Amino acid sequence: MNRRKFLILTGVATGAVVIPSSIYFISGDLKKYAVLLIERQLDYLRLENGSVLKYVNDYFQNSNDAVARLKFKSMYYLNLSWEKSNVLKELIKYYLLSTDFFINKMDENQEVKYIGLYSPYKSPVPNPFAYTLYPPSTIKNP
Amino acid sequence: MKRDYYDLVVVGTGFASSFFLKKYLSKVKKDKKILVLERGHFYPHEERLKAKRGEQSEFKKYEEPWEKAINNVSTYKKWPFTTGLGGCSNCWWGCTPRFMPSDFKMKTLYGIEQDWPIDYDDLDQYYYEAEELMHVSGPEGTPFPRKGHYPLPAHEFSLVDKILHKTYGNNYISQPTARASRATLGRNRCMTSSTCDTCPVNAKFTIENSNIGVFEDERVELVYGAQVYSLEIVNDVVKSVYFIQDGKEKKASGETIVLGANPFFNSNILLNAGDKSKFLGKGVGEQLGMQVLIYLDGMSNVGGSTWVNANGYMLYEGEHRKDFAACLMEVSNAPYYIRLERGKYLNIASIRLLFEDVPLDVNYVNNTSDKLVPDVHHVERSSYTLKAIENMKQKLPGILSCLPVEKLEYLEPFPNEGHIIGGTRMSSDPLSGVVDKHLIHHKYRNLLVLGAGAFTTYSASNPTLTLSAMSLFAADKVF
Repeated sequence: MNRRKFLILTGVATGAVVIPSSIYFISGDLKKYAVLLIERQLDYLRLENGSVLKYVNDYFQNSNDAVARLKFKSMYYLNLSWEKSNVLKELIKYYLLSTDFFINKMDENQEVKYIGLYSPYKSPVPNPFAYTLYPPSTIKNP
Repeated sequence: MKRDYYDLVVVGTGFASSFFLKKYLSKVKKDKKILVLERGHFYPHEERLKAKRGEQSEFKKYEEPWEKAINNVSTYKKWPFTTGLGGCSNCWWGCTPRFMPSDFKMKTLYGIEQDWPIDYDDLDQYYYEAEELMHVSGPEGTPFPRKGHYPLPAHEFSLVDKILHKTYGNNYISQPTARASRATLGRNRCMTSSTCDTCPVNAKFTIENSNIGVFEDERVELVYGAQVYSLEIVNDVVKSVYFIQDGKEKKASGETIVLGANPFFNSNILLNAGDKSKFLGKGVGEQLGMQVLIYLDGMSNVGGSTWVNANGYMLYEGEHRKDFAACLMEVSNAPYYIRLERGKYLNIASIRLLFEDVPLDVNYVNNTSDKLVPDVHHVERSSYTLKAIENMKQKLPGILSCLPVEKLEYLEPFPNEGHIIGGTRMSSDPLSGVVDKHLIHHKYRNLLVLGAGAFTTYSASNPTLTLSAMSLFAADKVF
């Protein structure tokens, strides 16, 4: 995810684009494949039942990259991984940022729960790198 | 307007104007009358937050897209800026390193462009003052000469920062920043949101939260919605400023006139007024910024406490500046660079590399048939800057060899840095610039032109602290 895309998703950039209504009638199918892609790419994590779909619903409502999303179905059937697709990489990165995965210090044994679309203006999820999760006393000296 | 004539007429309410007024008001008598003309309006931080959350705000009508305020002729460049009370303090990201002493002496030291007519020592006391007014957080040791503590303690280091600091000492420091490391008057502690234009927790210094009190001063009359576009000049004396308010032509007269709008508009106002200075409007630009992602093997980059956690000066100083540009490194904790490989999510650091550029005549502002909207041309980067990128790519792996680096990934240069520089450059003599060392116009001696437009050369460092110190310096020396 580049900085520009991130800013758009988090509502930081100005000029949000309204998704044309013509896209919506196919979005149910696209959402299904977006969920399947996330679940397949993160199959080593325990993702809370139904929470990926909640995320995908919110993501589709806030992302303005409708054309890119049209590719999700083909990505699924082509067995494409995030290494090959920036759109997919963005979808998965943003999913992890929107869950409690980083709050739980990336513990793969804990169930991953969707907390709300990542946004410094709306969501309680902190920056995963930040001192709020890793206070100074926990950072060793070299 | 309450009066026909003022002691001082100031255009703009951003850093340059506000810091100038702070010093000016501290020096002049209680009976002085000052008019401040702001092209935008007051758009409070709380209302900006509502807009960010997608909520209704009656103030949203005051957002002026920068794309409409200027005519950006170049397709590859962007020039985001904010109008309204506080100007670009509403959209800056709060980085406040000082310039290096060498930045003021590019001709003497490296044979590049011109020396500034002021030097680091001239600004030193005003740097301290600006840092105090902004409650800057920073470390004790810095690569530029500075004694004692910053007003607020330095931000926290990550392990990556600690290793680099251990290796490079004061050439790798916690970034001096106006993103507060502790709660301070009117501001909260930075939460590392990495979304600083409108700070989600109001940790960043803005004119609105500054408590510097200039616009509340009884001597000051602040007028909103006043778009200044030209000057009335008689026998080389500026008599009035012309502006449009609510669609009507107006003018305001004063003994001393101060242009503190952004560099594009300062140039446009002077061009519309018929100023024939050779370098007026010329050499506009900014640093070139590009990002490098550092993929780390078995080391996470956690624990930083602000967006840009540190500055690296390992590519800044040296004889190389005879041939190619200085580079300032900004090491950040941006969440959007997390990795997706299993178990490596936070094993990454990102560095924004800021390369200085030099003022080229082909990059310029010109006035147009629409007196409010200038053309902005940015045709090219200098070879001085582009050569520095190649050098960086050769040197960076060695510089980072103290870290367990898996690989480096260079991203494309950004279309903007938010640092608009040039157009009214400062010089010792009238033939090589527009304003003198006190920011007084070489020809119109009752006119001051503030801000980064006056920079003689660009430096690799972020401009805001320096332009704020220059305003304090000018007001102190002139009044």
